[in-house]
Amino acid sequence: MKSSMMHEINAVVAIAARDITRSLKSVQSLVISLVFPLIFVGLMGETLNQNMGQGLGYNFLQFMLVGMVVNTLSQFTIAGISNLVEDRQNDFTQEIFVAPISRYSIILGKIFGSSFASMFQLVGLVVVALILDIPLGGWDFVRLLLLSPLICLSAGSLGITMAGLAQDQRTAQILMPLVMFPQMFLSGAMIPVNNSTGILDFFSHIIPMTYVVDLAKAVFYWGEPAYDKIVMHSPMLDVWVTAGYFLFFSVLGTILFTRSERNR
Amino acid sequence: MENIIQVENLVKQYRKAKEPAVRGVTFAVRSGEFFAFLGPNGAGKTTTISILTTTLAKTSGTVTIAGYDLDRQPKQVRRSIGIIFQNPSLDPELTAEENIRLHVCLYGLYPYRPAYRLMPAEYRKRIADLAEMVGIQGHLFQKLKKFSGGMKRKLEIIRSLMHRPKVLFLDEPTSGLDAVSRRSLWEYLRQIRDEENTTIFLTTHYLDEAEGADRVCIINQGRIEMIGAPHELKQKLISRYLLIDAPDRKRLGEELREGGWRFIEAGDGFRVFYDSSTPQDIIAGLKTPLSKLDIYDPSLEEAYIRLITREEGGEEA
Repeated sequence: MKSSMMHEINAVVAIAARDITRSLKSVQSLVISLVFPLIFVGLMGETLNQNMGQGLGYNFLQFMLVGMVVNTLSQFTIAGISNLVEDRQNDFTQEIFVAPISRYSIILGKIFGSSFASMFQLVGLVVVALILDIPLGGWDFVRLLLLSPLICLSAGSLGITMAGLAQDQRTAQILMPLVMFPQMFLSGAMIPVNNSTGILDFFSHIIPMTYVVDLAKAVFYWGEPAYDKIVMHSPMLDVWVTAGYFLFFSVLGTILFTRSERNR
Repeated sequence: MENIIQVENLVKQYRKAKEPAVRGVTFAVRSGEFFAFLGPNGAGKTTTISILTTTLAKTSGTVTIAGYDLDRQPKQVRRSIGIIFQNPSLDPELTAEENIRLHVCLYGLYPYRPAYRLMPAEYRKRIADLAEMVGIQGHLFQKLKKFSGGMKRKLEIIRSLMHRPKVLFLDEPTSGLDAVSRRSLWEYLRQIRDEENTTIFLTTHYLDEAEGADRVCIINQGRIEMIGAPHELKQKLISRYLLIDAPDRKRLGEELREGGWRFIEAGDGFRVFYDSSTPQDIIAGLKTPLSKLDIYDPSLEEAYIRLITREEGGEEA
């Protein structure tokens, strides 16, 4: 029993290490880690800050930086897991699926690997923040980083569901922005959504990333005067909703992906 | 000899397909056997091999591999088999060694370590031995993007043998390889079979590769058409004959008639059939001086084509 468990853990580590190795070797990944925050924080954030951010009562660029941490981790974790579809098209999933390991170990390994790989993307975000002179917040930022495994796991479960739904890479490429853009704009990651009403408010309340972003902001602004202006829900509610979404999407995604792999 | 693979009434009906791809197939493979599974495109070969290797769910039937039931003990089945897929199943972003390291960790052979030099000495020895055997020892730490098709196949052989499988499935392993790579691959596989007593289950379109098999199984339109040793199949499907000719054809024809031989006269001489006897029996009874003597030995490919065209209602050659 113990040996079987160790075998599964070893497989999870090996699958995760594959993604990390690939990410470290990728020049494209390094370039994106710098360009992505430059566009969103440097261009979009600075423009919003100069034109609309003055009367908010808090530093808008710092607000956006926290949202970008969640967004970067989520987006790159989901993109990493969506590579399962690419693996399927390149026939690489055959090698993994004939291995004597649990399907959950495959999915967990993929989530962990994509999560760690997405954390490297944060380096670019920090570099851009330093260039633009955005205050990182010292220990507040460290606390936020400690939350990153939860952020990645939450996004990972959504990524697995996407990989289960997409039969080919083209569908995955269409699904990716459909899932990511609404979350990016409606979760409060980049733009405050405290005053949203109607349908936008409804969507803002049902998307998983809203609760992850809110939890991240609660952790970052904990004890700060801006806390009440920025954080929308109780951190406990954020944790429970995020855990619920994680469980739901992990199980659904694993079932969908495994079925799509074997039941052709 | 015990059966290492036992397949009974295997059926696979794909979603949205009108007809089943595999229709109640039954066969067994003996331990240590070289078993060739042949058939035309769409016959059900890859479907069957995908089910046996647990990458595709069957519709019904039972499959046992190395004593393990495919439905109830899939992990044990996977541990007992090695596979060389029709299309290379390698990560091109990793080095050859990194691909193998991932494989051995998935099979629980060694604990994962982030670098080759940190892996156990036993792993390093096994990989070095196998790499030397297939001749890619100098390329283990190169990215796969620099590998040719033949080198990728050799790497897949190393990978599939790392966990010492009881059964090695080869799904069209030489497709896309040049003649030299094909020949060397078969040399390695023979060597491996001799050294490790591995059962080989082969699907291929190159029928000369199946000539050396212990038994050949021919599947067509989802059904097993014939199963047996290559020489048995040839014997059943194609008549063997002796091609002889003489300056005095008339006398030779009379001698054959007197000897009771079944023969036909063709432009290039007499074709004398000897299904239940030997060429020596024919020659021993002839006194006419011969100008031509040729023993016609049909190939497996001819027997295969005869069977498939017969099943498709084509003309018998």
